[in-house]
Amino acid sequence: MIDFLFPDEPGSASRRFFMTASFWLLVGLTFGLLGAIVMIAPDLMPALAPFSFGRLRPTHINVLIFGFLLSAYFGGLLYVVPAVCRTRLSYERLANFAVWYWNVVLLSIPAALLHGWTQGREYAEMPWIVDIGILVAVAVLAFLVFTTIARRKENLLYVSVWYIAGGLIWTFFVFAVGNVVWNPPTGSWFGMNDQILMWFYGHNVVGLVVTPQAIALAYFIIPRATRTPLYSHALSLFGFWALIVMYTHTGTHHLLQAPVPQWLKVISIVNSIALIIPVFAFLTNVWLPIKDRFGRIYDDVGAKMVFTGTVWYFITCLQGPFHSLPSVQRVTHFTQWVVAHAHIALFGFGGFIAMGAIYFLLPLLGREIYSKRLANMQYWLMLVGLTGLFLSLTFAGLIQGEGWLNGEVVYRLLPELQRYFLVRGISGVLLVIGGGLFIFNVWMTLLRKKSGAGPALTKEVVTA
Amino acid sequence: MIHMNPKIVGLGTTFLLLLIFGAVVVAPRYTNPESDRVSDTYRPRTDLEEKGRALYISYGCQYCHTQYIRTIDWDLGADRIAQAGDYARDTSPQLGSNRIGPDLSQEGGEHTDDWHFAHFRNPRWTRPESIMPSFSYLAPEERKAMTAYVQSLGGRSADGRVERQWHWRRQAIAAYQAGVDENIRWLHSKVPDGWLRVPNPYPITDASFKRGEVIYQRHCLGCHGPVGDGQGPAVAEIYPPPLNFTTLKRHGIAGGATGGMLYYQIMNGITGTAMPYFKRELESEKIWDVSNYVARQFIGIVDANQEPKGIDAAFEPVEKK
Repeated sequence: MIDFLFPDEPGSASRRFFMTASFWLLVGLTFGLLGAIVMIAPDLMPALAPFSFGRLRPTHINVLIFGFLLSAYFGGLLYVVPAVCRTRLSYERLANFAVWYWNVVLLSIPAALLHGWTQGREYAEMPWIVDIGILVAVAVLAFLVFTTIARRKENLLYVSVWYIAGGLIWTFFVFAVGNVVWNPPTGSWFGMNDQILMWFYGHNVVGLVVTPQAIALAYFIIPRATRTPLYSHALSLFGFWALIVMYTHTGTHHLLQAPVPQWLKVISIVNSIALIIPVFAFLTNVWLPIKDRFGRIYDDVGAKMVFTGTVWYFITCLQGPFHSLPSVQRVTHFTQWVVAHAHIALFGFGGFIAMGAIYFLLPLLGREIYSKRLANMQYWLMLVGLTGLFLSLTFAGLIQGEGWLNGEVVYRLLPELQRYFLVRGISGVLLVIGGGLFIFNVWMTLLRKKSGAGPALTKEVVTA
Repeated sequence: MIHMNPKIVGLGTTFLLLLIFGAVVVAPRYTNPESDRVSDTYRPRTDLEEKGRALYISYGCQYCHTQYIRTIDWDLGADRIAQAGDYARDTSPQLGSNRIGPDLSQEGGEHTDDWHFAHFRNPRWTRPESIMPSFSYLAPEERKAMTAYVQSLGGRSADGRVERQWHWRRQAIAAYQAGVDENIRWLHSKVPDGWLRVPNPYPITDASFKRGEVIYQRHCLGCHGPVGDGQGPAVAEIYPPPLNFTTLKRHGIAGGATGGMLYYQIMNGITGTAMPYFKRELESEKIWDVSNYVARQFIGIVDANQEPKGIDAAFEPVEKK
């Protein structure tokens, strides 16, 4: 019984985190699709609070960030850290306990948010007790990572480990502070100061929670798939420190048109532009090894997804600095343009790398993928779906923004958005089908009879 | 070659993170007195309004309705740019980041309570093309609290508007209860004399009539109904009920002109009733077109294209006898 619930077998916790991630991906995508549908046909579903957009949206976002992205990253780091440290995970049973615990925490997210138990702060909606639940999980993961690093047999710390270990510490800090956990009833400061804090957190959910883990996985997977070392150690170092310095300043670019101090707006804009530096340090480092070896990426569906994630990262991180400029925000702020951007950041970059990492690491964890054909189908469905979502919402956002600047009222422009919302809904259907294929494929991979050997420690770790 | 170790990764980055957090979050909090000082329109909320705000947060209204007006806005509330002091006493300020519906920071007093009741029950009843979810499941006291909160948005400015609504509402109810004739006389008395004598300067063409119909369907249908008898679905919540246009035929129109009278009422709304103003969202010609549509389709008295013709007719001095 204990061995079933909390096995000691190396890799078991990773695999279970991957099952968790694929499950919550489908759940989160479904909430997103429901949200898209109620914006096309608001009276289609019965008038019930959980079907209202105001409840579906925070549920969709939090389930996908914590249920899908973080679960996948937890699974990934539990494999990657021991592998590049050439040791075993320090406490496999504790990691397996964390899987069960994490799923209980995740279950409480839709339960709370669909019932309207929210603190009403964007990206920090979850009530205090759920916040604490998440912090405990992050602390456990950080403990596992640092104790594993302490037992390493490889003296050099590979760049992935910097991001994983650093990322967990940053996650703990920005999550605790951003949710104002020392103030359980409201989870909030007062007035505009709270909004500055909230967007410090909101932007760092992407910058310091998701990005480091996704980058860590890409740094592990792309050199391995291409069987080529990283381009430059100096660039790795530079990108790492630049990320922590630049990303942390940018939150206030969400408040450029709101009454906050001017100097803070200037800092946020300057650093948003400067973000291009760590982004290109990372991209140069992982893209140059691919040169002339693209076939090796294309042949492996996991590596292909990870590579696609880096392409979305490229697009996101050119678009982001660009629309942090006040002259651009005049048009884009408050519109669906921003929603489109958030989707390519979190799902295009964070999500594609998470899914790719699961497909890439499962064979290393001793399980051959159930069906590569299904995985490829999923890849294309999701790529087309996300592209359709991105383009339709970007167009809708331009219509809104230009129309408002031209003096149109919000109501008069609504009918003009309808067809774009329809395209977004169809894209959402493709994504949900892709999510269905994913959970089927991952669960079939893990539930059918064991194939292949146990998890192999990497032999050719690229010591950058 | 520089080697990273767990201490550098853990402590070094934490040190940087704390430093930057201090600079971009803590420093603004303690160096910006503006963010603590309440603005001139601020007032504390009543208990009922607080309850309504909790529901507003719980239903996630902020994901479609912003509550801050920018210098570049034209829509509802555009005359009052948001100030830090508007939010100084709020936890979880509901500024929002996405605008699917109108900004609500100055919504208080823009509509009457009964308009909000109908709108919460089904937003399509008052705004036929709205995509807001229906809140028909709200308990009566919840709906009352939500309405109270929405009517408080804008603080003291909103209080002035709400007071004005209630002032005219008493008259509107008295006029309605006095019967059809008195009601129409009261409604006409709200239109300045000059406007009552202005015929619709635009002729009714097939195209303009069709445009008028489309505008009627997008803006008027929910209350006045598809046949203009004031029996749209919103009638279930609205009191005094929407005007039955067909009653105007029997009474004739003072001075024989419908165009100017309808134009004026559509442009400005009828304060104190659920009839909102459309001056912000319908351009001049669209209001004339829908006036022509209502006049021909429901009243049967059309004054379009009579003398004095032309768009400048409204500005011509009227001969005094």
